[in-house]
Amino acid sequence: MNARETAWRVFAGELNSSSLEIKSEEEKSPSYLVTPLGAKLNRILIAGVLLDKENTGTEEEPMWRGRIQDVSGNFFINVGRFQPNAAASMADIEAPSYVAVVGKVRTYTADDGRVFVTVRPETVTNIDERTRNLWVLEAAQSTWDRLVRMKDALRVQNAGRQDLVNKGFSQEDADGIISALEHYGIPESSKYLKLVQNSLRMLLPDRNIDLGLPEDIADAPDEIVLGEDTGKGKEFLLSLLEAMDMGELGVSMDVILKKAAENGMSPEEVEEASDALMDDGLAYEPKVGFLKAI
Amino acid sequence: MNKEELTPHVEELKRVLEEKVTEKELMDELDKYVNEYGVDMESAKRAIRRKFGGEESGFVTGNAVSKKIGDLAGNEPNVDITARVVYVEKKQIRARGEDKTIISGILGDDTGTASFTIWSDSYDLEKGSVYIFKNAYIKTWNDRIQVNMGSRGVVEKSDATIDLPERTISYTSVESKIGDLKEGMGNVSVTGRILSVEERNVNVRGEDKIVYSGLMADDTGKVQFSAWNDHNLKEGETILITNAYIRGWKGIPQLNIGDRSEVSRVDDPFGSADLDMSSNKTLREVSESGGGLDITVSGLVVDLRGGSGLIFRCPQCNRSVLGGECTNHGKIDPVHDLRMKIVLDDGSGAIGAVLNRELTEKLTGVTLENAVSLSKARGESGIIAREIAPKILMKRLVLRGNVMSDEYGPMMIVSEADTEEVDIEKAATKLLDVVEGTL
Repeated sequence: MNARETAWRVFAGELNSSSLEIKSEEEKSPSYLVTPLGAKLNRILIAGVLLDKENTGTEEEPMWRGRIQDVSGNFFINVGRFQPNAAASMADIEAPSYVAVVGKVRTYTADDGRVFVTVRPETVTNIDERTRNLWVLEAAQSTWDRLVRMKDALRVQNAGRQDLVNKGFSQEDADGIISALEHYGIPESSKYLKLVQNSLRMLLPDRNIDLGLPEDIADAPDEIVLGEDTGKGKEFLLSLLEAMDMGELGVSMDVILKKAAENGMSPEEVEEASDALMDDGLAYEPKVGFLKAI
Repeated sequence: MNKEELTPHVEELKRVLEEKVTEKELMDELDKYVNEYGVDMESAKRAIRRKFGGEESGFVTGNAVSKKIGDLAGNEPNVDITARVVYVEKKQIRARGEDKTIISGILGDDTGTASFTIWSDSYDLEKGSVYIFKNAYIKTWNDRIQVNMGSRGVVEKSDATIDLPERTISYTSVESKIGDLKEGMGNVSVTGRILSVEERNVNVRGEDKIVYSGLMADDTGKVQFSAWNDHNLKEGETILITNAYIRGWKGIPQLNIGDRSEVSRVDDPFGSADLDMSSNKTLREVSESGGGLDITVSGLVVDLRGGSGLIFRCPQCNRSVLGGECTNHGKIDPVHDLRMKIVLDDGSGAIGAVLNRELTEKLTGVTLENAVSLSKARGESGIIAREIAPKILMKRLVLRGNVMSDEYGPMMIVSEADTEEVDIEKAATKLLDVVEGTL
């Protein structure tokens, strides 16, 4: 019997801090992204404000990208051509609006080893504020539950998977927690508590909620910047085009991608920045695979 | 495939099966699988290897290794086990159209117990005696180790003394709540109140039998039972059943009161509680157990699957049909119907659920009448699912019904459905209290 993968309620702050992927050896078995709190994600349920959307494909074969903000950061969604329902919804939904997305977690590893997480939606639904709040509540509860489980697991000295199972953890939880500890070490609990605090502040605006967390923890600087802040990307790309110009053809995309990766830019960001430069009339493609500053 | 083409494969099988089976037998078998039943060669060979006791990895038979029960991994092709017979019985089964007597029971040594099956009637094992089980092959079923004696297996009396830990000797029933019953459990004892019982005549392997079946419940759930002997069961009385075993039908556990089971009347521990009610479960619990009767779950609708919306049914058999043609009744004049196939997810697990016309109309406000006229106006029926999707996705529902499982996982046939209103402020305050209390 193959049970369907549960849709985990997870905040962007936890999702985007994840970099451990477990790929199954067996064919057709799902792969998982393990979060620092030990959630083994394959499918997730997210909700928030759709900040912007863009069709990077064509009208006939749309490929929608979008950014969704929750209380802790941004989710990046990428609707491929094989998700017709999600694509149809994306075409109808205008940004900004509240949306909920059920989808599969995808990762992309840059040359410098940084892992970027995106979501491949199966369904995208326009929701009301109440439903968004309900999601925030569920995500906060589930983040808190993971924190508690992690704390319980850390009390077991030198715990292995079986030790945790013997203590009453489910096989799944034990697996996720041990994998997470091996890869990330002990999680910085104040960072995740802050996610819970932010959610509760949002849901209970009249209570002056203060969990006594150091206020200097940055409010989740958005580490994954797929396409975000194209201004900076454009500037960088333009300086690169000027510095490395090889004459008639400009600079090859391979070189650009390599240099960009060294500076922490993903191919998606490069693409976005180069599109923006071309839109602005600051660069053009003398030939496929090359870019030149005007 | 003709004989010549089959020959190299027969040769291969002969090597693997260590010439235990004659070439002619193998040729007949292979011919049957491949030519008569159209099984592909690899599957056929694997099946034959299994059938004659050469395990999947039968290429490495070699000599048997001796193992303790506690050390069995569950996939050994050839082991010797010295153990005491804790329980033994002969059973009639029907295999490949023939009645057969097999021996089954429980083995124990100082490291644990396992059930065993000898696929023949050629031994008379004594309960309490120690035997050496040679050339056994080991399988796992429902997480339980099973020792199998196939055609290569030999059982011999042993002089060894085996001390069993106290708990295994008695071979007592394990007590279980009805809500925790799972398919494949053997030897359980259950206390429950009988909600209904009826007498049915059934035909089991050519023999007419009376079975007493119905529903029983405790404070954790309901289960269907079948008693194969007359225990004079009455509706409303509370009984303790020992040595019952659990079989499943599509993932729904069914409690069997067999020849070894004992039934006694006990004081009702449930007081005045009405047990004829639905049991609340998380979706993780439901997916783990695979099924059950009269279960209530809640969660968010995360998907509306294909086959939802306006569908067509055969007026004779009620099966859903495409293109006005029923697989059983040919060309028909289909009737319209409305339904939803959703996925409900509560963050701990997810199951499928089917909602009929009445529930679909209630939850979405789309009526069959609207649906028919809209689809006629648009000239297509797919529009209805697209109309329904935004009305149901991300809604929080409470569903009640029976859950069964197939190859796609657990699925609820929903009898009652409602949207669930969550008091977000109250729930958030509760979470805040817990968080503040812990820090």
